[in-house]
Amino acid sequence: MGTEVATKKVTNAYWETVWTSFRKNKPALWSWRILKLLIFLAIFSNFIANEKPIYCKIDGKAYFPVLMDYGLKSYPQFFDTDWLAPNPAFEDSIMPLIPYSYSTRDKTSRNYVGPFDEQQVRRTRYRHWLGTDQLGRDIAAGMISGLRTALIIGVLAMSIAGFIGIILGSLAGYYGDNYLRISRFRFVLLLLGLTLGLFFGFFSRSYILSESEYFLGQILIGLCITVAVVLLFNFLGGLFERLSFFNKKTSVPVDMLTMRLIEIINAIPGLLLLLSIVALIKNKSIFNVMAVIGLISWTTIARFVRAELLRIRNLEYIEAARALGYSEMRIIFRHALPNALTPVLITLAFGIANAILLEAFLSFLGFGVDPSQVTWGSMLSEARGNFKAWWIMIFPGLAIFVTVTIFNLIGEGLSDALNPRLRR
Amino acid sequence: MLQYIVKRILIFLPTLLVISFLAFGLSQCTPGDPVEETMAVGEKGFISREAYDRNYRQLAHQMGLDRPVFYLSLSALAYPDTLHRIVRKDQRENLLKLIAHYGNWEQISTYYNQIQELDRQLTKLPDSLKMLNRVRSELLLLNLNDKDRSIQTKLDSIDHFLQQDALLNARIGGEVDQLKRSYSQIKSQQTPWKLKVPVIHWYGLQNQYHFWISNFLKGDFGVSYRDKQPVANQLKTAIPLTLMINGLAIFFAYLIAVPIGVYSAKYKDRAFDRITLVLLFMLHSLPVFWIATMLIAFFSTPEYGFDWFPTYGLGNLPDSAPFWQRFWETAYHLVLPIFSLTYGAIAFLSRQMRGGLINILGLDYIRTARAKGVNEHQVIWKHGFRNALFPIITLFASVLPAAISGSVVIEVIFSIPGMGKTTVDAINAQDWPVIYTILMIASVMTVLGILIADLLYALADPRVKFNKQ
Repeated sequence: MGTEVATKKVTNAYWETVWTSFRKNKPALWSWRILKLLIFLAIFSNFIANEKPIYCKIDGKAYFPVLMDYGLKSYPQFFDTDWLAPNPAFEDSIMPLIPYSYSTRDKTSRNYVGPFDEQQVRRTRYRHWLGTDQLGRDIAAGMISGLRTALIIGVLAMSIAGFIGIILGSLAGYYGDNYLRISRFRFVLLLLGLTLGLFFGFFSRSYILSESEYFLGQILIGLCITVAVVLLFNFLGGLFERLSFFNKKTSVPVDMLTMRLIEIINAIPGLLLLLSIVALIKNKSIFNVMAVIGLISWTTIARFVRAELLRIRNLEYIEAARALGYSEMRIIFRHALPNALTPVLITLAFGIANAILLEAFLSFLGFGVDPSQVTWGSMLSEARGNFKAWWIMIFPGLAIFVTVTIFNLIGEGLSDALNPRLRR
Repeated sequence: MLQYIVKRILIFLPTLLVISFLAFGLSQCTPGDPVEETMAVGEKGFISREAYDRNYRQLAHQMGLDRPVFYLSLSALAYPDTLHRIVRKDQRENLLKLIAHYGNWEQISTYYNQIQELDRQLTKLPDSLKMLNRVRSELLLLNLNDKDRSIQTKLDSIDHFLQQDALLNARIGGEVDQLKRSYSQIKSQQTPWKLKVPVIHWYGLQNQYHFWISNFLKGDFGVSYRDKQPVANQLKTAIPLTLMINGLAIFFAYLIAVPIGVYSAKYKDRAFDRITLVLLFMLHSLPVFWIATMLIAFFSTPEYGFDWFPTYGLGNLPDSAPFWQRFWETAYHLVLPIFSLTYGAIAFLSRQMRGGLINILGLDYIRTARAKGVNEHQVIWKHGFRNALFPIITLFASVLPAAISGSVVIEVIFSIPGMGKTTVDAINAQDWPVIYTILMIASVMTVLGILIADLLYALADPRVKFNKQ
């Protein structure tokens, strides 16, 4: 009990110091505040830019048409409603801040109406403050829903990258080239297990994989089967190792293998790789695109974690943990890794910025998520069709720039706050 | 030294090997039938089916597609190791599905052979038989169906047509019955356990990967689907163009970034340093495609009154024009693209230069130099700068892949027919051979760039351990 309180205090103190020094970095602090605002906007984007009223009253009864976007409640009487036309039945209503969603096509404002042009709208409240595109869609509304896409892509792609990077990096850093010693017998068994696992996970399921609608889910199931078979063989290996006959040890160069893998991925120009993979995906849902982005951008995280663990591995408390007889996995993931996670935060911040840029780039070229999803990149690519419409060019680009800069500044601030030695 | 060079090169060989596996593997996942895509348009329509089949076989053989995919394969016992001999991709894939359902290759192959045999017989029959063509089209559809219900429907409708045509029935009725029998045998003699037994087949050197990579090394990259010309023809102009643009951009980036870095290190924490830091940071975050689009819109169209630069391409002066005129024309067209490519690298490089130089200026030997009265200019340029420059040179290795990536978007926006634009056009046209050739070549170029940077570093800094363990 007593120790628990003590550790809690220590961690709090540590993060308090980090926070204090982070606060001193004004640009980073302001970026953090803006980011909180952006997250708020992204979560509540349906309440901010929507053609449906948040609240309306008909015959003394209250309705919340916005909730129809969430499928929470359906109001049959609204099915044929043209939200853009004034509705005399409303006794009272509260409209969202931007009374359009990006899918709304305002027929009276087609063909690139600029922010300063004369607009044929009912009231000033209904002005397109940032203009419209060719189909009469409101740019401001597009910015808001593009924000959600961008943040989802950035965060989820980086979680995938972080997952792979942290696991590979920590194994490489902790074991190095010489410390993972397993018996040759178990090594052979593991290779066999991997082959069999791949066979049962993927090869023997190739028909299901090619026919199924949930490709990503099937791949996950395949991976699970593979891991299960490998673990089974690992267990078998453990059983046999008790016999001294099978017990001759050899070391596995985990570090070398991981670094080679990173080198290989870094040697391929990222965008070309991304393009040639994305070109193969038929169903470009937001999740497939960010999975691909995550799969090719884990290398920086892995490198950072590896470097940290190379250092931590030789610290005394790890030696103490070994002396206490803790299992290797417990030492790595419960004792060593938590202390190595701070640099990951920095790379995550930069990585999110990068993932947002990559997605915007893909959408800009027309290979990004499918057109039903609004992204800043696809809005920006529309500007290439009409150079006169500067508002389609400026605003989405500005949004990308601001978001990317915010994440970069936060990354800078974090790296200053977390590594006081580096501060100059 | 020589040992070090050889060692570095040896390390890069497996890297290239794995990249070639990756590119080949991706190219195997492409939809569509490569043989059909490669066939010239004239060969497809208006020729008899026999001639088409013959052409198909011939072309598949030329492209090495009648071979197994890789040196070895991991598959289930149910799959035969000779399936690659069935050249038609659609038929082969259908057989794979059938095997995945029932797991008994012997029965399935009998069934498949009977379909082919029946088809051959049908071609010999005179066209005057009224149901011939309908039976035949149903029969061909059998080649492309694997679900029990659809196969059953096809067989039933063949039966139905035969009943209406006694003549035809007399000729092939027996074979059709046999076909139906062998299909029901497939269903009755299932061996699903064979699908769960892994087998590794070894095929030797006669395989598609070997064919592809040895041709690749010889400079034969296959045929583009779009213009039916060798891929190499498209790349012959694209690669030098991309290299030139990137080379120029990186050159200008170093030219501008190094002095900026040095001066901001010299005037550390003063106004110059602070302002450049903020400016460069913002430059670094500006998305290239945004800036390039804006540059085009504002500076190359009359829309906003600054029509200073050409919008697209590289100019189209004839080859007969004097060299300098063509040179200036091209240079004029390249101003905006190279600017867009350069500014990101400037930010990155000058930050590194500044950091490196600041580190070095804090070292003891610099203090000694100052103490003995060397003037500040000499301290920075002679003692500090030289040592700080080497790490910056090696950054070339990380700038180059980024530049090649970055030039994709620049080439697309400014319509410069380099590698990037060729890739994007190829993706739009689903011209797979071009895409994966470019992926391979770009990777090889990057690996070479990294290798050169490594060697330069080893040359410049003798402390690099040549035999690092």
